[in-house]
Amino acid sequence: MKYGLIIILFSLACSRAAGADSIAVVANSEDVSVELSVQEIRNLFMGGVVSYDLVAVALPSGSQTRVIFNTKVVGLTESRIQSYWAQMRFSGRKKQPIELSNEEMVLEYLKSHPGSIAYFPADMELPAGLTVVLVVD
Amino acid sequence: MNIRKFRAALLLPIASGCLLLSGISSVSAQTGDALQFSGFARVVAGYLDEPHATYLDYDDGISLKPQSLIGLHVDYQIVDSLSFTGQFVGKSGNEQQTGIDWLYLAYEPTRATQIKLGKQRTPFFNYSDSIDVGFSYPWITLPQQVYSSVLFPTFDGILGNYQWSGKEFGFELEGYWGNYDDIIFTAGDETPAEVSDLRGVIAKINNGSWAFRASYHTADAALGLSELREFSSILQQFGFSQSAESLNPDGRVDFYQISASYENVNYFLRAEATQTNTESSAIPDINAYFVALGYNYYPFLSYVSFGKNESTYPKSVNEIPIGLDPGFDALAFGYQNVFNSLPSLSSKSITLGTRWDWKTNLALKAEVTWTQVPKVSNANFVVMDSAKFDRKSRLYQLALEWVF
Repeated sequence: MKYGLIIILFSLACSRAAGADSIAVVANSEDVSVELSVQEIRNLFMGGVVSYDLVAVALPSGSQTRVIFNTKVVGLTESRIQSYWAQMRFSGRKKQPIELSNEEMVLEYLKSHPGSIAYFPADMELPAGLTVVLVVD
Repeated sequence: MNIRKFRAALLLPIASGCLLLSGISSVSAQTGDALQFSGFARVVAGYLDEPHATYLDYDDGISLKPQSLIGLHVDYQIVDSLSFTGQFVGKSGNEQQTGIDWLYLAYEPTRATQIKLGKQRTPFFNYSDSIDVGFSYPWITLPQQVYSSVLFPTFDGILGNYQWSGKEFGFELEGYWGNYDDIIFTAGDETPAEVSDLRGVIAKINNGSWAFRASYHTADAALGLSELREFSSILQQFGFSQSAESLNPDGRVDFYQISASYENVNYFLRAEATQTNTESSAIPDINAYFVALGYNYYPFLSYVSFGKNESTYPKSVNEIPIGLDPGFDALAFGYQNVFNSLPSLSSKSITLGTRWDWKTNLALKAEVTWTQVPKVSNANFVVMDSAKFDRKSRLYQLALEWVF
């Protein structure tokens, strides 16, 4: 019985940890059928465009959610991303996404700006009206 | 005061101004939605472990001058789809030009399309349009075997870019056309150049961690080598038209480039290969490549890269008779002498380096480069004592890279 309880608590801790490491990419879009691949989301947050008219909103460097997004979706370290933006900015090629301080501010921005897209921890509670376009475990 | 001293003297007040600017960097980045100031700077210290030659202007004394620079960048959003950009770069090195590198209007009719009109960096290679922004790449000195062949660093003209992203791939297509009327550095010397009909097309594709780039560039170059042109005219007057034509410093220049990169959070691989074909007698044909492997251990990364290039000039023509007339003998001697004096650009090098991203906008780098050339007479080295120079060098560099 004692071991059973330990196993249950351990399983709960693991599932909580897995949830915290999952990322949901969420858009404020009139088109609720919008679906984007990891490649498209990567391109969008690296200053590219996709077939939907969406504007990326990012968290600042140092944010744990951003670190997870960088690792699981963009596939680059924070320093590589910063050097990429230096190249894009000073050659006038691509524009960096808007950065807001924390998840709550990003969520407020998303709710009030149709056509915006952002990433959050997958277990974060989101209001109705936003569309989850991808969840990455 | 000559122009180089004037440029070096300019750097100090500009650097001071930038330090002042950095104190208000959070404000300077966005003084309003429409007007934005930013910039970059690098301080590079180098020491060449070779007393009998210099390489990239480094000698056997520690020097900050050859590659340290500062850049100031301004963007102004005129209306939603129209913006203005200017960038001034102040450099202290002898083989680098201080001045305006970017000055253009950008029109974006859609988010996927960009048209730029004005002065721009020529996008020959992967990093040729951010070559001054050391923060944007791992090395301190980009692999010279490839990047020393950027002949026309900027152009005045038009550039169009279109990008598209599918479920699995991202694509980018770019084309440009313009002119370049300034000095170029060939074989280590400054040469005035009038480059017309400079145009190119660039295609990029990326899929996951892989990215590929292929490009073609071409231009008509007229080099201000008056002595060579006069000698060519003399040969023409004597009826040696093939010899005269073989010394013509002007002509078409074609560049081909391909590159591939793979990078993830742990490793990166970057490779780039280029080919330069020219009709000019003064610019050699060059085949060049580099391969770099790196390991990321945030906030550090370390890398090793190997680069090699081979340069060849057109062959001389055996048209002038020897032994018949002393005048012809002098012409033949002078003709051969021109070919014998053309310095090779061939070299190979291995670089080991580490980058530490100390802050999100500040990186420190350390690098050592072993370079070897096949002949003592080589454009990469200025040789003081050819008898003692063993055609090899080690360059140690430390750099601070900053964007603000």
